[in-house]
Amino acid sequence: MPVAEVHHRIAAAVNATSKSSAFVHFLGQHAFGPSTVVRYGLSNGLTLLLLLDQSAPVVSYFTWFKVGSRHEKPGKTGLAHLFEHLMFNETTSLAAGEFDKKLEESGAESNAATWVDWTYYHESVPKDRLPLVVKLESDRMHNLVLRDAQVTSEKEVVANERRYRVDDDVEGAASELLYKTAFTRHPYHWPTIGWMNDIQGFTPEDCEAFYKTYYAPNNAVVVVVGDFNEKRLLELVRDAYGELPAAHVPPDDGHPEPPQLEPRTVEIKKPTATEKLLVGYHGPALGDAGHAPLTVLTEVLFGGRASRLHRALVIDGEICTDLRSWVSTFSDGGLYEIYATARTGKTIADIEAVLYPALARVRDEVVTDDELVRAKARLELGLLQSLETMGGKAEQIGFYETVLGDPGAAFQRLEAYRRLTASDLRKAARRYLVDRGRTRILVVPDGSVTEVGEAAQ
Amino acid sequence: MSTEALSPTTTKEKRGAKKTDAVTRFALLGGGSVHVAESHAVPLVSITIAFRSGSSSDPAGKEGASKLAFRMLRRGSRTHTAKEIEDELDRLGAELSTEVSVSSSALHGQVIERNLGGFINLLATLMAEPTFPEDEYERLRRETLAEIVEARDNDRSLAQQAFRREVWKGHAYARSTTGSNKTLAALTLDDVRAAYRTHFVQGNVALGFSGDVETPRAVELAERLAEGLAKGPRVPDPVGEPGRIPGRRLVFVEKPERTQTQILIGGLGTSPHDADHVPLSVANAVFGGSFTSRLMREVRSKRGWSYGAYARLAVDKQRQAFSMWTFPAATDAPACIALELELLEAFVSKGIGPKELSFIKKFLGRSYAFDIDTAAKRLHQGLDVEVLGLPADYYSAYLAKLDAVTVAQANAAVKVRLSADDVLVVVVGTAAELDEKVRSSIPRLAEHKVVPFDREE
Repeated sequence: MPVAEVHHRIAAAVNATSKSSAFVHFLGQHAFGPSTVVRYGLSNGLTLLLLLDQSAPVVSYFTWFKVGSRHEKPGKTGLAHLFEHLMFNETTSLAAGEFDKKLEESGAESNAATWVDWTYYHESVPKDRLPLVVKLESDRMHNLVLRDAQVTSEKEVVANERRYRVDDDVEGAASELLYKTAFTRHPYHWPTIGWMNDIQGFTPEDCEAFYKTYYAPNNAVVVVVGDFNEKRLLELVRDAYGELPAAHVPPDDGHPEPPQLEPRTVEIKKPTATEKLLVGYHGPALGDAGHAPLTVLTEVLFGGRASRLHRALVIDGEICTDLRSWVSTFSDGGLYEIYATARTGKTIADIEAVLYPALARVRDEVVTDDELVRAKARLELGLLQSLETMGGKAEQIGFYETVLGDPGAAFQRLEAYRRLTASDLRKAARRYLVDRGRTRILVVPDGSVTEVGEAAQ
Repeated sequence: MSTEALSPTTTKEKRGAKKTDAVTRFALLGGGSVHVAESHAVPLVSITIAFRSGSSSDPAGKEGASKLAFRMLRRGSRTHTAKEIEDELDRLGAELSTEVSVSSSALHGQVIERNLGGFINLLATLMAEPTFPEDEYERLRRETLAEIVEARDNDRSLAQQAFRREVWKGHAYARSTTGSNKTLAALTLDDVRAAYRTHFVQGNVALGFSGDVETPRAVELAERLAEGLAKGPRVPDPVGEPGRIPGRRLVFVEKPERTQTQILIGGLGTSPHDADHVPLSVANAVFGGSFTSRLMREVRSKRGWSYGAYARLAVDKQRQAFSMWTFPAATDAPACIALELELLEAFVSKGIGPKELSFIKKFLGRSYAFDIDTAAKRLHQGLDVEVLGLPADYYSAYLAKLDAVTVAQANAAVKVRLSADDVLVVVVGTAAELDEKVRSSIPRLAEHKVVPFDREE
């Protein structure tokens, strides 16, 4: 029997025992490296992606919502993230604190995350506890209770998280300022954690409106990876989610970012001993053809100790202590970020005197074959490392489904990397690493910190 | 976990052995051992080369020697220059890192399976034939000094350093693994070579392979790696049992412009050889080891004072520390410290209740599935037992020991091992605004000092 027919029959068997109008539909399969992700849907629009993996008696369960900070409005920034915190509170059937207690009693590992394009909730449990997770996640998708006391307390927790990650963190503060400066109209302008004034101003009504708008089965993707019985799981999902109503999710109205025509620079003073430089160039969206070559080029330039700029700035030049780069993996064009920390006695000017000629060189000349081979091998290693746990696989599947609509795209990217030539990298450099699209954040010591202290590890 | 000891000459007999989730241990000639945990789910192989000794072997005044010795391995070997080593690692799709703690040390490697042979060839020369080039040594020393300056940007790290120095005052655990400006200036290349000779001997090593490798091949590769080392016995641990420092002490680490504080409160904790080690660990989990623990509930859920609130019992060869970690806004810090001390007093004097014990046993017992859900995790349990000299049944009998813990045992352990009177409080914050208020929040404070964050006393 063809494999697809097996899943059609499983869905038919599940629907035959349905006591409601909720039905499961088999919607197809996706290659995920050597494995296969099976796609089902419920009548109310919920997407379900399943990957059977019996290498350990555990199951990883991710619920992705297609809502992040890009869906917020000025004055209400940070709402998606605050809401993520509130999702661990009371529901109509569970008292405050019971959600976490039930999960911990089951030995669960659980967490959640919010970023510009999405929010996810994650539980990994011993396989016999899967029914509880299905019940808890479906319950809080629709039955959350938002009271003033909980919103007030959680706002304080998030304000403290902001102090930890941004206000008292040099790199966090610089990163926030980079996006604020590089984006003037697109919602990537504001940080996912939100501006402090906005965080402190939220009301339960704000949260309720957000919940009703974005938390619905037709705006969610459930990913399950692990040791489960497919038919039994579909029955559980049908019974738990099947009656939840779909919502009208407003169309994405994030304003496109106009082209940046002039370089931008902002200088900030911080209580730190050394200068730091954060540079951003407007880059491709994750789904753009230029994303893969720019990712490989990043490895050539900044990936590890053998990369061109690590060698030039950290090892040979002894100008930097820390040097990193990243191409943002957003659904709209984000930034190609470079972060560099100067050593004591070195300056941002010293860094830039090496950095920009190196970027100009990859616009002018192709990288060597050996550099290309090394960069591709590093990226392959990184992908394989992300697949070592059930949770890692579920995260990859859910991320690519949520941002690109393709749960197997991680492996397609790997194939794309393999096909890339040195000319492709040069083309990407010429397109994206252009001076007029550059934003610089200069972090300089405010003088409150000495450079000659005696500190231990 | 099943273990068996076989001489290398008999390993071929195991080629047809059935693959299981078990970790298999083999003795190596020369006194070392190899542990193998197969998993063919992802084409990756992880290798750990662990040593039963760490920075406690550094002579007084030579702190940092062991860490430099390990880092120097990738700075030149008989067959490769530093640059060639980095290029080759990338070409192979491999990563290599070093870890040096007080009591043990290790090389951690990971490689795409098809390149395992090449990676072993490289590792063999790095381990057995390092050349310690003078220019590379000077470069590494400068790099380390720059990293020490950079680490001062991290407030949590500052709190941990101050806690280590003060809670172990007068004991070997107080010494720095990285070293300081002073000790790094005094170290010579001969000191670093001597540190290498101390650690890298056959009787001191335990190798581990996990992932996509057949056990017989792993054993052969381990033999090759170990054969290159000099003959020599296991390095004895020079660290003795630490003593309790009486009274309540406050160390305020002064750093300008902090909106938030980093707070560590604690003292002596547990030894893995204590008869009450598991009962104490269980009680600590009730107090601050989960998301629904007392500490998290009171500090975060009820008051929103800190994004995180945890209590931890570290494990090492000798008795390690008990510590509570929170990071409230500066304005909430005095009240948060007072609350934590009250909670600790109640914990020590009244212990935990039967419902709490029943709950935490379910959490710890069921979540144990995630301590062994990958081959790498199973492998590291085996290596921990060997390298840290843990009781042989430390992991294998854990679930049975957990199940046997009674309320009386847990509470007796808390009373004997922990103290609310002999505690150290470390605060990283801006002293001018907070120091007096923090002092007032600590009843019966016996000692107090303010330390600039960029200087060691």
